Amino acid sequence: MSDKTRQALITVGVLLFLALPGMGLGSYWLDVLNQVGLYAVLSLSLNIILGHAGMFHMGHAAFFAVGAYVTAILNTVYHVPVMATLPLAGLAAGVFALLVASPIIHLRGDYLLVVTIGIVEIVRIALINNVFGLTGGSNGIVGIQRPDLPGLGRLTAPWHFFYLIWGFVAISMFMFEYLENSRYGRALKFIREDVVAAEGVGINTASCKLSAFVIGAIWAGFTGTIYATQMRTISPGSFSYWESVVLFMIVILGGRGNQWGVLLGSFLVIGLPELFRGLQSSRMLFFGAALVVMMIFRPQGLIPSRNRRYKLPQPYADKYK
Amino acid sequence: MLKKVSWVFLGLAMLLVIHTANSAEAVKIGVMGPVTGAWASEGQDMVNVVTILADAANASGGVNGRQIEIEVGDDGGDPRTAVLAAQRLVSSGAIAVVGTYGSAITEASQGIYDDEGVVQIATGSTAIRLSEKGMALFFRTCPRDDDQGKYLAGKVESLGAKSVALLHDNSSYAKGLADECKALFETGGIKVVFYDAITAGDRDFTTSLVAMKSLNPDMIVFTGYYPEAAMLLRQKMSMGWNVPMIGGDATNNTALIEISGKEAADGYLFVSPPGPLDLSGPAAKQFMGEYEKKYGTIPTSVWSIMAGDAFLTIVEAAKNIKGDITSKSIGDYLHSSLKKYPGFTGEISYDAKGDRIGDIYRLYKVDSNGVFRLVP
Amino acid sequence: MEVFIQQTTNGLAVGGIYALIALGYTMVYGVLKLINFAHGDLFALGAYLGFTLLVSFGLAGYVGMVSAILICSLMVMVFSGLAGYLLERVAYRPLRNSDRISAVVSALGASIFFQNAIMLVWGAQYRSYPAGIIPNLTISFAGQNIPLIRIFVLVASVVIMLILYFFINRTRIGMAIRASAIDQGAARLMGIDVRSVIALVFIIGPALGGLAGVMVGIYYGQINFNMGQMYGLKAFTAAIIGGIGNIPGAMLGGLLLGLVEAFGAAYISLAWRDAITFIVLILILVVRPTGILRERVAEKL
Repeated sequence: MSDKTRQALITVGVLLFLALPGMGLGSYWLDVLNQVGLYAVLSLSLNIILGHAGMFHMGHAAFFAVGAYVTAILNTVYHVPVMATLPLAGLAAGVFALLVASPIIHLRGDYLLVVTIGIVEIVRIALINNVFGLTGGSNGIVGIQRPDLPGLGRLTAPWHFFYLIWGFVAISMFMFEYLENSRYGRALKFIREDVVAAEGVGINTASCKLSAFVIGAIWAGFTGTIYATQMRTISPGSFSYWESVVLFMIVILGGRGNQWGVLLGSFLVIGLPELFRGLQSSRMLFFGAALVVMMIFRPQGLIPSRNRRYKLPQPYADKYK
Repeated sequence: MLKKVSWVFLGLAMLLVIHTANSAEAVKIGVMGPVTGAWASEGQDMVNVVTILADAANASGGVNGRQIEIEVGDDGGDPRTAVLAAQRLVSSGAIAVVGTYGSAITEASQGIYDDEGVVQIATGSTAIRLSEKGMALFFRTCPRDDDQGKYLAGKVESLGAKSVALLHDNSSYAKGLADECKALFETGGIKVVFYDAITAGDRDFTTSLVAMKSLNPDMIVFTGYYPEAAMLLRQKMSMGWNVPMIGGDATNNTALIEISGKEAADGYLFVSPPGPLDLSGPAAKQFMGEYEKKYGTIPTSVWSIMAGDAFLTIVEAAKNIKGDITSKSIGDYLHSSLKKYPGFTGEISYDAKGDRIGDIYRLYKVDSNGVFRLVP
Repeated sequence: MEVFIQQTTNGLAVGGIYALIALGYTMVYGVLKLINFAHGDLFALGAYLGFTLLVSFGLAGYVGMVSAILICSLMVMVFSGLAGYLLERVAYRPLRNSDRISAVVSALGASIFFQNAIMLVWGAQYRSYPAGIIPNLTISFAGQNIPLIRIFVLVASVVIMLILYFFINRTRIGMAIRASAIDQGAARLMGIDVRSVIALVFIIGPALGGLAGVMVGIYYGQINFNMGQMYGLKAFTAAIIGGIGNIPGAMLGGLLLGLVEAFGAAYISLAWRDAITFIVLILILVVRPTGILRERVAEKL
């Protein structure tokens, strides 16, 4: 398939997707798509850390939680409009990531994995214990407002959120695409493939890793804002270690480092349990089996990350065809 | 590669088609419960109870000649899943929904039912604020935490305790009840010498017991759930500490005795709406018989019976409505016309907020055979 | 003093159970560099198999309580080991040659599968081992009454760990396992059947996990289908603290974790107990990035 037809197909697909709410898709399926979208953004942000930089990070829900709680507290206690809290939520999550990641960034592989699980658990327990008297304990925070968009009014219906969330997905994908192809993105990939060689050519691996963590966390914080305003009520149970595991699965299953793969992964991991609803109490059994089967058939992920390709100068291109 | 991916999509699309291909001229009632996840046993009991009742109602002619169709929505005991379950039940055309169990889960789904104008009758969600939002179509067959707090604190006082150790498990329910009790104890002159939270799902409470013992309270008040209560009783006995313990309605579950053993549970007190085995009235007794015949056991807790009651009041409303059976007409009937309907757990009427009217709490004591006995 | 002695004995007993489960994580990791996320659920499976044998089948009615527990433990070890073998065969072996992170997702899928399979087979409600499998006796120690069963759990786990330690360090098979952990390729050249070693590790680990499941059932009397998640996470943490891949490390990590939990809960805060545990984990790893007893396998560059 040539690049042109590929692009055309993607364009048609995206347009069709955007037309979905107009095609009589019910609120239920729109809400499923909204959930998929939220998980897609979260996974795309995790993809920077896990997919590009290759750090085994299984605590992403912690940053998501910080963003959601910042929005919820600012909105319900200080009456800041929801959308105005978005930058603050991102900032708070980023600062938090900087603080917790600095001492642990040098840990390798599985040690980093268990520490990040530890962080998400510490955050959850702190939220349950009503830390600073602001988080509402295990009840969480209720009564978060719906977002007001300038010129569009208040968003309420599922299809409003459909465009908000998927718009955000699109922006994120453009951002990360740009990042991926930048000098910085290439440095991250180098670190993933061979950290010693990367250091050898003069890449500051520690600061690259740390900044990947912070960027991913900021994005998760933004997503927290959207989640809080869509659900209108948040509680610590939604930010458990298992949520982080789900995000981790999405990135690896989809194909780490590849945005389209991560997107497909979100559809499968969030969508499949919904499709299996007819199986009632055995639906998660089938979901677990499906994960194993998919990994066996596509160990590199459904759409694996492609290596960068460079155009050869014309004479060579003909020669090596 | 793309070919394989498109196969995956094709498969998903087919599942979707299979999924949406059913509908008929039936009265559709949803049951939203935790069929999977940590509280799966409650959810599965709820579905079983409602299924039996729906089959019975259909066998006797349904609602004005129309059959009743049950649609199950699994909320997984998780707010995010609950939102999807609620959306799906609404989309499937359910006019009323029975459930769910946990308060936080009900809270996440409430807005959707309210927006879409569907009746919701919660069955185990006792948090006070759920019915304080002015939602016209929200009801519940279970009592509220403040009812229970008052009753529990009153009983502790009348049992003569002067100092208590108060323990909860940090769940919204247990913490709410504990805070309610704490305030009432403090105004009533009972000293709270210990106040802390255990972790739900834990098995080892030796730590808290040892710490409490050193403060020598007259009574332990535990507001959490039965698995932890049973472990507390068991470990309390193995320490050789004979302090009385009292709990809330989340410990009203026959599995408590299985876990703790008869000896450890002997003398344990709890307040609760009447449990499955204490439901008086021939209808309840007969129902338990049918349930046991079909599923081999009886429901483990009273909350699934509350789901049965919720279902019965919906059917009762649907039968008596003149004209169209809609969510609104059912809601109106439940608010204003349903008076003292004889449910399994007692007479049911709903007030203007949708809360159940009447005092349904009782004090129970476990006897030496591990049987829950009503304290007269 | 009462608090201290009770917490120490209790922490050691709980830690012994963590250590038994942690051994499964660490042995598999040592040979395959794979975190077997389904291990916690194999532990839960063991607890349920023990429930079926002891309670539903009423083993004690035929042979008396002591031999019933012994027979039950052995049978559970056999069945859990078998389940571990099948797990390796179905979910991990096809992924042997791909990126090891892919196997993590396969492991998580298997974990979801096992957890829900247990729920569907045995039901979602809590199940209980009969109270008084072991008579409720206490022994006196330093003026404190310690439940006998606590001592029993601690002694049993230490004995099993010693047996395993000698098996790994003093037998030819143990040597093969150690050799495969250090360098699979070289081990293969030395004539070691690495494939069988991997299968063996996947039998021994889950067998110990299953045994720990029975011990939890007897000790606490209460089991439920999703308990593997919590115990699995704790035991995995213990293996990391000790230095994953290192067998004495898992034992040490388990006992240490049990003590940290008990003391954190007793002297700092009960509600923050798990958070304290994880903070201690992070502090340990900041000081010693590969655990207390350093991992023996060299990092591949």
